Amino acid sequence: MQKYILKRLLIMIPTLLGISIVIFLIMRAIPGDTISAMIGTQYQLTEAQAESLRAYYGLDKPLITQYFNWIGNALQGNFGYSVRTGQPVMSEILSRFPLTMEITILSILLGTIFGVTVGILAAVYRGSFFDAIIRIFAMIGLATPSFWLGTMIIYVLSVHFKIMLNAGNYVAFSVDPIGNLKQVISPVLCMAFSFSASVMRTTRSSLLEEINKEYAQTARAKGLRERLVIFGHALRNALIPVITLVGYQVGYLFGGVVIIEQVFALPGLGRLLLNGISQRDYALVQGSIVFIAFIFVLVNLITDIAYGLADPRIRYD
Amino acid sequence: MKRMIVCILLLVILVAAAPVAAAGDTLVVAMAADMTGLDPHLQTAFTSHKVLEMMHGKLVEVDEEMNVQPSMAESWEWSEDGMELTFHLREGMTFHNGTPVTAADVKFSFERILDEATAAAARSKFTSIASIEAPDDLTAVFKFAEKNVAILVDMSSNNAAILSKDFFDNGGDPNVESVGAGPYKLVNWEPDNKIEFTAHEGYFIEGMPKIKNLEYRIIPAEDSILAGVRTGEIDFAIINEPATAMIASADPSVVVATAPSLSYHVLQLNPGRDVFKDVRVRQAIACAIDRQEVLDVAALGEGQVTPPVVQPYYGADIDSLFCYQKDIEKAKALLAEAGNPEVSFTIMAAADEPPTAVAEAQNIQDQLAEIGVKVDIEILELGVYVERWLAGDFDSCAAWNGGGSDPNGTFWRYWHSTGNLQKVSIFNTPELDELLVQGRSLTDPAERRPYYIEAQEILAENAPWVWLYVGYEYRVMVPSLKGFIPTPDGSVWSLRQVYFE
Amino acid sequence: MTEITAISQIDRNAQRKRNFQYSLFGRLLRNPGGIIGGLIILVFAIIGLFSDQLMPYSPIKNYPKERLQAPSVEHPAGTDEMGRDVLSRLMKGASNSMAIAFTSVAFAGIFGTILGAIAGYAGGWFDNLIMRLMDMIFSFPTMLLALAIATALGTGFLNTVIAISIVYLPIFSRTARGTVLQLREFEYVDAARCIGAEDARILFRHILPNALAPLIVQVSLGFSWAILTESSLSYLGLGTQPPNPSWGSMLSQARVMMELAPWLVIGPGVTIMVAVLGFNLLGDAVRDLMDPRLRSKGL
Repeated sequence: MQKYILKRLLIMIPTLLGISIVIFLIMRAIPGDTISAMIGTQYQLTEAQAESLRAYYGLDKPLITQYFNWIGNALQGNFGYSVRTGQPVMSEILSRFPLTMEITILSILLGTIFGVTVGILAAVYRGSFFDAIIRIFAMIGLATPSFWLGTMIIYVLSVHFKIMLNAGNYVAFSVDPIGNLKQVISPVLCMAFSFSASVMRTTRSSLLEEINKEYAQTARAKGLRERLVIFGHALRNALIPVITLVGYQVGYLFGGVVIIEQVFALPGLGRLLLNGISQRDYALVQGSIVFIAFIFVLVNLITDIAYGLADPRIRYD
Repeated sequence: MKRMIVCILLLVILVAAAPVAAAGDTLVVAMAADMTGLDPHLQTAFTSHKVLEMMHGKLVEVDEEMNVQPSMAESWEWSEDGMELTFHLREGMTFHNGTPVTAADVKFSFERILDEATAAAARSKFTSIASIEAPDDLTAVFKFAEKNVAILVDMSSNNAAILSKDFFDNGGDPNVESVGAGPYKLVNWEPDNKIEFTAHEGYFIEGMPKIKNLEYRIIPAEDSILAGVRTGEIDFAIINEPATAMIASADPSVVVATAPSLSYHVLQLNPGRDVFKDVRVRQAIACAIDRQEVLDVAALGEGQVTPPVVQPYYGADIDSLFCYQKDIEKAKALLAEAGNPEVSFTIMAAADEPPTAVAEAQNIQDQLAEIGVKVDIEILELGVYVERWLAGDFDSCAAWNGGGSDPNGTFWRYWHSTGNLQKVSIFNTPELDELLVQGRSLTDPAERRPYYIEAQEILAENAPWVWLYVGYEYRVMVPSLKGFIPTPDGSVWSLRQVYFE
Repeated sequence: MTEITAISQIDRNAQRKRNFQYSLFGRLLRNPGGIIGGLIILVFAIIGLFSDQLMPYSPIKNYPKERLQAPSVEHPAGTDEMGRDVLSRLMKGASNSMAIAFTSVAFAGIFGTILGAIAGYAGGWFDNLIMRLMDMIFSFPTMLLALAIATALGTGFLNTVIAISIVYLPIFSRTARGTVLQLREFEYVDAARCIGAEDARILFRHILPNALAPLIVQVSLGFSWAILTESSLSYLGLGTQPPNPSWGSMLSQARVMMELAPWLVIGPGVTIMVAVLGFNLLGDAVRDLMDPRLRSKGL
């Protein structure tokens, strides 16, 4: 197990390095640079002034030099400075990350709890009216784009109930829990809606499969009550695919949160990144992408480990 | 299931409706975009200035009628020959960090702007300055290499903010820390979320600012901003979307202050491109566009069709200008005359600057189809757009250009043969040069006006650009907020004097 | 003689009927979800292919006098701020979205399969290289990667297709590689090798056809992803460009008008939902058919 984790961690290094090169090149491939993004149409800089700005940000050096300067510093923990705020990139990222992570985690929690519960019920009462409703609900959930759902929530609440969900007054959970939850509840509901649909489907189908397996038949033949068969034996096995699903969906959700932050105007990592891209804030974008990839790879590793713990048949060596 | 949905909805509403403590000593301002940086000499985006003007003092400022008023300079006088300008500073002014403001700071600030290495946004406006002297703490003397009376207006910009020499001498970084002499001092900036200020006790205008704390909130969706003003969670909002402003205007629970903007929407044709070399093709385009329709479709009719000069006093009567009424027959005739039946070109537009640009391009595309002109639209991100705009690398673009408070500032840079944006406009004539030189050397508006009227006639006739319309500057506020003065340049300087009733 | 012919005719009819019942299409028809999904997709495909003939109005022409009209008999989905008919725009949008979805899934499917199959068959450094590359693509949240690539490449049909395809490349290459790894060890492959068949021939004639089932499942599930990704990209201002309509960009433009004209927000949203629903239902049905292990679970 330890050897396996170590190996996975080692593989992460070339992957992250590769990503850093790719994103570095992508950013340079985007037309327009930091300086022209800063100038705007309303003012005028001479070519000489633009050049001196480029020199100031080190943009006049060859690409390879720029890359090695950046990656060299990054390896020592310095990801550079944001052009806009002059703050270190890492501190910008770390100040935005908690919100994005909070929305992701809450969506996962809510979606998993709701999805697993309803999924079990649907499996237990398979074929019933309830089951049919749940399955339709799941199909709709999977098909609803979260950014549209978010827009509709805002529309209904602000136009019909005159309630404003987000006054741009985002506060961290540690500062004001209620104020914080007030801000994140609707994006979380949006994300959890479609997420719970896939959890529900997986739970239902994998539980149905387990219920029909031989060991469950045997348990039933022994005279065990159906409830015990399900909750005592089948459920544990049925949840293994659910764990995998949840783990691998973290990244998908994370990507979705980027858009939902835009819809609900929340200052998370997604908005940092989108603004960074449009302002060509190279250091900021490179830093955040590598950071996100790192988190993502880590979550996948944790998922694999959790999978192994839940399913004793799987061995890592 | 249904019950569950109802429960979830109720939960959302309950949590959402939890009251938020609204204190009367804090003014909450909302806008859609954050500032792009702290150094006032470097920032160019309009939105940044709406924040920076709260933090910085200038020698002079302009009022709502665009007249120059004293600010940090109590008074000033020009020498006889107009080559020397002496400012007398107010007594007892201090920066946010408590150090006194002296003429040395004025000298330092302008020298910093003029230093090429600073890459200051407004440098080109001040290149006529030969030297600056500070004979005593309260007197600053500007000496000029060439005559430029309009420079006083340029000194009212945040790009000419007075910064503390002391702060720089001690190694302060203006990108990270803000030390100004404005009404509010920066407490905390959380990018893309909020900017918090507290009143500057030593502000040089007695009794200002009236409200102790100021908070800017960045909310990219203007419908959310409006919802916030409706619930009273936001006191004052800067609105750009005509649709949002229209909704707000119809709502009696909020107050909308409107001023015609000085920034104008224009279809720039590039006379440097083969397709527009022939003046008749440009004229045909101008004749085929119903400007009011562009305004109606792109900005929901929220604005006014504008002559080339946006400053109302200097603007020509639009009915007297060439082809300001749509004339399809004339357009077709001009095209036929030009012997170029198949005109096709591309309109370049920036994605969100202004929010109406893409719609303008689409409507123009549609209108020009009527005379058989084929138009492609190319939507670019602002940075890319700017790069190509500055290089004159476009057939045509749906632009939104800043007007400023003086017609000289609006016209010289594009239409005088030495203007620094000649690369963008690619058009000049000796007559136009002569008119602009005359307009710039005079001080009496009544004497200047005829020169600018004639310049506008020449421009409309030659149609290097098709001037479309000016929109409005919208400010939406709660009814209890009093004392705000809307200005056409989009400034919110009067926030220092607003109060709750 | 005639009798025998008649009997064998009956036989053949029955045989044909049975064949049909067990054919993919026949089994699909017995799955209610599959039928609904298939019908939805059929309708969208017809609208998409023949949008130019079916649209009641031009999706681009401005009618300034008919701005922001609520849904009515003339304009069943209302008009937008330029007086354009929303229904026509949705139909044209269907054409654009479907074209992007089909092309990008095809791109990803073909290139992903080839890469994965060769990697799996060849093994060694090539396999390692390809799989590390796929790992890299995989270590991004899908939406973010599509966004970054689309920003770098710029807008437009082909660039959007490339962005979406790259993101989905790993799914196909991994599926193909996995199946090829299994099949490679089968006896019939060894047999082919023994009679001296070339590697390329073995891979493309003998292995790949047998690996198709899991790939077809991925293709059918890929469409709904592609539609959602395309609409997300155009919601953020990438992808299809105005005046050409796209469901996502229609939604993002409508946001500020929400209070004046809610139909502008509801129309495109419901359309995306129904299209994705259709592809999901069809995809599920195909998966159930192709993967016997999952069959008859009914979801």
